[in-house]
Amino acid sequence: MSEHAHAHDDGHDVGLAKYVYVFLALCVLTSMSFFTYSSYWPFPDQPNIGRAFMMAVSCTKAMLVILFFMHVKYEANWKYVLTIPAAFMSLFLLLALVPDIGMRGRWLSEERRLYMAEPPAETEEPVVKHAEAGEGGAETEAEH
Amino acid sequence: MATTHAPSEAEHGGHDHHPSLEYHPGLPLSNGKLIVWLFLSTEIMFFAALIGTYIVIRFGAPAWPTPHDVHLSEPIGAFNTFVLICSSVTVVLGLEAAKANKASSAKGWILATLVLGSVFLGVKLYEYGQKFSHGIYPVDPHSRIYEKADLNYAAAVRHRLESLKGEYDAQAAQFQQDEQQDSEAAKQVQSRLALLGNLIAYERDVETAAATDQNVAAARAALNEMAGLIMHKEPVGGTAIVADDPDADKATAARAELNKLVHDEEHHEEAAGHGAHGLNDDYEWLKLPIVIPGGNMWASTYFLLTGFHAIHVLVGLIVFAIMIPMTLGVAAAGFVENIGLYWHFVDLVWIFLFPLLYLF
Repeated sequence: MSEHAHAHDDGHDVGLAKYVYVFLALCVLTSMSFFTYSSYWPFPDQPNIGRAFMMAVSCTKAMLVILFFMHVKYEANWKYVLTIPAAFMSLFLLLALVPDIGMRGRWLSEERRLYMAEPPAETEEPVVKHAEAGEGGAETEAEH
Repeated sequence: MATTHAPSEAEHGGHDHHPSLEYHPGLPLSNGKLIVWLFLSTEIMFFAALIGTYIVIRFGAPAWPTPHDVHLSEPIGAFNTFVLICSSVTVVLGLEAAKANKASSAKGWILATLVLGSVFLGVKLYEYGQKFSHGIYPVDPHSRIYEKADLNYAAAVRHRLESLKGEYDAQAAQFQQDEQQDSEAAKQVQSRLALLGNLIAYERDVETAAATDQNVAAARAALNEMAGLIMHKEPVGGTAIVADDPDADKATAARAELNKLVHDEEHHEEAAGHGAHGLNDDYEWLKLPIVIPGGNMWASTYFLLTGFHAIHVLVGLIVFAIMIPMTLGVAAAGFVENIGLYWHFVDLVWIFLFPLLYLF
């Protein structure tokens, strides 16, 4: 590919009107995620619906920014070489945290339970159960 | 970075009729842009790790504060999102202008980006100030956050009340000495001392009940009630818990006085829409310890994520400021494109941070 052809590919087709449309879409999407905060949001009792909705909206916004503002839509295939390994690496980084940090509440030591935050009422039961199991375990060990 | 199919110079000299001497770059992009993209791919990993850690910590936590508990304002967050999106548009319009060799127009767009980025940072600073004024810090010496209302918390409240009382007693004594008991300042000190007296009597009753351990459920309820009074101005029970205490009457009277403050409608009007609003907000000099379950971890993650993002914004602003005196014609289009890529990435991170921090 010659210099000239490359320069021609490189976003000259992107008219200003396209940026305006993308900008409007981003504004609408932002107000959509803000909508979950308003009193008109129909699922105030099920936070997970709102969260999934907001993540979908955020991913859409991210795609718009990446494809149009960062011109990735108009780039050659080298874009995959750089972005896909980075995306995989971040996924592994995230997954590596789950056993130690994400599931840390499942194995509570007595000391930890003493200083940790009070869980809210609806989730109190399972945590107390774990704590009791921990206590029971400690006692039987002490007896032996 | 480039693979070349051309033979070496010497070989070339020997064979003038060689058919192909074309230079083939390995990647169809300039070195600068390649470096920016390599840098951005490390940034993707950096922020994905930070945001991922936040999600893992947040959903594995036994308790997590609501945005209102920690004085986050969703409209302010949405406004900042809007500001950053606008700045992404201005930078991309700047690039188009530079490509068309309209240097002054490009400079105008870059200046607009600089202003919008500064607005974002200004709003962020205001938000940080709000957190700090409510005792929400990520580190210990300033943080007033306690994870739960226990004896440890009660003791912290007592220490704060006693040190305040000592301070105001000394001031009152000074006014007495200077014979200025009727001055406005002296009256203010007296009214503060009256409130402190009530709070100390009330706290003593609650702490004694909790420490004697006779009725665990009642003691825990009393501790939670005290935290609720400080954090949200919730009413407290009418009578002293420790009935055989010599100061039980005093504690009962103190509870009545404190409940009067709770039902003070004037303050309730002010409180509307500002998140948690307790004694600490009505009497800003109190600065009592507060109970926010999960608040310490929240503060750590919030300040880390928004802090790193703010540093990135700041770096972008510095580069924009450097660009202002430059001629942003077609020769500088590559540079504008590269800083634009970085700036869009900063916008991208905020697109995820806004719902995760303000709306989840």
